[in-house]
Amino acid sequence: MEEIEREEPPGVDASEDVAASGDAADTEASADEANAEESPVEWDEPENNRKPRAERVNLTTDVEKDDARKIVTGEARYTADYSRRFPDLAHGTVVRSEIAHGYVTAIDTSDAEAIEGVYAVVTPRDDVVPDTLYSSSGQSYPEPSPWDMRVLRRHVRFVGDPIAAVAAETSEIADRAARAIDVEYEEREDVFDVEAALEPDAPRLFEDDEVENAQSGADYGRNLESHFEGEIGDVEAAFDRDDVRIHETELETPYQSHCVPEPHTTIAYTDEDGRYTFITATQVPNHTRRQLAHVFDVPIRDVRVEKPSVGAGFGAKQEMAIEPITFALHLAADRPVKLEMTRREEFYALRSRHPMDLTMRSAVTEDGTIVAMDLYARSNAGAYGTHGMTVASNVGTKALPLYPRVPNVRFEGDVVHTNLPMGAAMRGYGAPQGHFAVEAHLDEVARDLGVDPIEFKRNHAIRTGDLDDVSTILKDDDRFARRIRSCGLRECIDRGKDAIGWDEIEQPDEDHLHRGVGMAICAQGSGVAGRELGAAKLKMNEDGSFHLHVGGVDTGTGNDTMFSQVAAEVLGCGPDDIVVTSSDTDVTPFDYGSYASSTTYISGTAVKKAAEDTKERIRYWGSKLLEESESNLETEGGEVYSEATGASVSLEEIGYEATYGHDEREQIMGDGHHSTDESPPPFGAQFVDVTVDEETGEFELNELVYAADCGVAINPPLAEGQVEGGQHMSLEYATSGGLEFDDEGNPQTTGFRQYGMPRTTDHPPMETILVETHEPTGPFGAKSIGELPTNGIPPALSNAIRDAVGVRLTSLPITSEDVKAAIDRRGAENYSSN
Amino acid sequence: MHIDCTINGNERMFEVSKSDLLLDVLRRNGYTGAKRGCDTGACGMCTVQIDGEPTMSCVTPVAKADGATVETIEGLGTQDDLHPVQQAFVDNSALQCGFCIPGMIMRSKALLEENPDPTEAEVREALSDNLCRCTGYKKIVEAVLDASDRLAEQAVAADGGRAATDRCCDCHCAGDRPTGADRRGETDR
Repeated sequence: MEEIEREEPPGVDASEDVAASGDAADTEASADEANAEESPVEWDEPENNRKPRAERVNLTTDVEKDDARKIVTGEARYTADYSRRFPDLAHGTVVRSEIAHGYVTAIDTSDAEAIEGVYAVVTPRDDVVPDTLYSSSGQSYPEPSPWDMRVLRRHVRFVGDPIAAVAAETSEIADRAARAIDVEYEEREDVFDVEAALEPDAPRLFEDDEVENAQSGADYGRNLESHFEGEIGDVEAAFDRDDVRIHETELETPYQSHCVPEPHTTIAYTDEDGRYTFITATQVPNHTRRQLAHVFDVPIRDVRVEKPSVGAGFGAKQEMAIEPITFALHLAADRPVKLEMTRREEFYALRSRHPMDLTMRSAVTEDGTIVAMDLYARSNAGAYGTHGMTVASNVGTKALPLYPRVPNVRFEGDVVHTNLPMGAAMRGYGAPQGHFAVEAHLDEVARDLGVDPIEFKRNHAIRTGDLDDVSTILKDDDRFARRIRSCGLRECIDRGKDAIGWDEIEQPDEDHLHRGVGMAICAQGSGVAGRELGAAKLKMNEDGSFHLHVGGVDTGTGNDTMFSQVAAEVLGCGPDDIVVTSSDTDVTPFDYGSYASSTTYISGTAVKKAAEDTKERIRYWGSKLLEESESNLETEGGEVYSEATGASVSLEEIGYEATYGHDEREQIMGDGHHSTDESPPPFGAQFVDVTVDEETGEFELNELVYAADCGVAINPPLAEGQVEGGQHMSLEYATSGGLEFDDEGNPQTTGFRQYGMPRTTDHPPMETILVETHEPTGPFGAKSIGELPTNGIPPALSNAIRDAVGVRLTSLPITSEDVKAAIDRRGAENYSSN
Repeated sequence: MHIDCTINGNERMFEVSKSDLLLDVLRRNGYTGAKRGCDTGACGMCTVQIDGEPTMSCVTPVAKADGATVETIEGLGTQDDLHPVQQAFVDNSALQCGFCIPGMIMRSKALLEENPDPTEAEVREALSDNLCRCTGYKKIVEAVLDASDRLAEQAVAADGGRAATDRCCDCHCAGDRPTGADRRGETDR
């Protein structure tokens, strides 16, 4: 494997590459110094965590993704592919509300039940369908989302709410039976607009007895699922100062669909021990197990959730969206049941990114110092509150911390119910909305001041040593204030700027074409501070190989490969010597699941600890066989060797000796778990190069560059893949996508053809730059990378168009028509002001 | 009704109903490499080849396969002996969740059979019917270009009288390697 030649990553103090010359550099250097004094970056880092690049044999090499061969041969098994295991499998279909708001008054299932091949029809009146209120959010316990939904619903709140379900011999029969079910409704007035939904006389979606576990600031009389606010400093006083200018930007963001390649699919059956088993496409096996047990009032131990290969999640599969209906159908049909969503259902009946409207204000002095920022986000939760409050709160707590030098910061949010499909978790989790507001707004402020937007942001931006208390703006205590121990943001900016050719942009020859470049800086977290747990166990086979059982969930990002690399790095073997099993609640230890950019950071650290624990026992046996002190022994290249004498013994010899030894025997095993209050942000800079036709508003993206600091990149090609895929999703959010509804709330976007997900021909050239820093709290210096790259293109594109033709786009997706309209408005304004 | 077809070099007979779609019949009979992504022919995850043509099997009546040669991902290579296109996807890390990849590979293979030396733009055009949500397509396009080089090298080796591997690029010859599904040899229901 070719080793990339590169200098050792500088230490934390030097990792902030400052501009090479001039006063700016001096100012930054001294600011860094002052910062370091006030805010020490020390961290009690385990000695073995910091390895120079050349010694990270198993981490930096391009280890093949462990399921790559299964994938390219079609042998990877996703949930639906398990159907053939069950000869008597029934196929399920869901009957969904055809009205946006009302009550189901009667369901006639007799015609459906009479169809040959129908095994079961379930409605809310059936005993097997619990009436329990719950949240489908797949979050920690108690869920920070209201319990506001039932398995099947009498009170329907959007077109697509599940009312009944059918299990039949084939999916065709199930569909036919579903169409034969007659539903009568008592319609209620509906509301689709967030502003209208907050009015006192608006139709009410939830009565008080229809919600448990309500969230802070909830006021269901006003359709308000949650209201929150937080402040640092005194924003009003700062806005009142005489020496500041106040800037304000209003922005709007749309629904975005996850477009998971594999539609949500679950197979439910009862095994030979009478235990309820779910093979299901999920990011959260353990939360799903707990929530199913709660809804169906069965012991947690009697529920087993197995995660096979998952055709991606992006947050859609953090939801327990279809497992409860599958369970009810299984109980009613008394045979294994598979429920597989259609693409149509994926678009209109499941979950999406929350649409929001946002107002961003700032107070800035004439010399370009931001003295206050104020962000308001109003989120359209749709019909249910799953992830409503938490996504909306992340709007502020991910983007605003990029500017910890601003002394006065306020953030406020409202989460509002309407009769539209529910928003929920989606890659970025509120951060894309927040970054759009903050990064487009500050770009405009810089241009208004007549300063370079990059320098303006750089001056205020976060750096190593900062104590980031903005991320705690909504919390009562500062326990979670993040000490920034690794920050390659300035290197991301510099290298991205070079790569896009920021200073050498040439204008096209045609007068009506204008080229511009835009930049946005980005941050995310690594797991949820103080609310995560990952665990792993490792056992050694007699041939020196290992089985790793880990609760962390790979939904396609390559986490299983990363786990094997981390364990191999500790154990001194190859990643191939480690068989990874993840994740089956009967077999693998607990893990919160794959969300919040937590897997490498949290679950990866658990794997590292499990490997270290195992290594201790290997050293013990090495010490017996080599007759040397354990403290002299190290593992590498499949051997335990003595640093003192050079004597060595292979892992295989140790495996056999431990298993079949004459005087003593042991199953060599280790375990590890990790929970932490830390959540170090990865950082990035997104660059967009665009050419705009001033006459038509049409624009073409010439290039995308993303420079990302994810700490040490474990398996760089997989990390690059995350950045490229994140940009794809961000590009869609910026330029296409969005869901449309008619006046009665009927979905108009129900397939890929209407939705407009970018295809190969829609992608401009993309470049990814991995900027390496070292995060001392992460496994071998790693932070997260999964969500970070979804945050940048909307603001960077808005900024690039502003650079090209002087208009500011504040509503997504940005279309040619919008640009044309903005150019026309600009013309009219210029005209009138003359 | 009965249909007869050759799947991955093996003659197969299926009992089907007229309204059955090819994807359903394939999946019921163990060819689960073709994935159900949209049921409307809009995402390409179910792509197979019929008589060499890339085809969205989710919108193709099974009758169209009657008397035809059908190739699915199962007929290409094994995990130990990958087809050059498969190998290129692996080596370029051109996959994440993998759900779209069998369709991508079948589409890429069809492209390279028709146009062994495509430009990047031609690759992008050919793959534009196949959606991928995870990768941003960059590594996929690189993999197809890489596969084109590999196949060209292989052809040169074959011209020189030494077959580099036992397969060729217009791979209608995989019949000597029955897949799991083929080995089972059952008929539909």
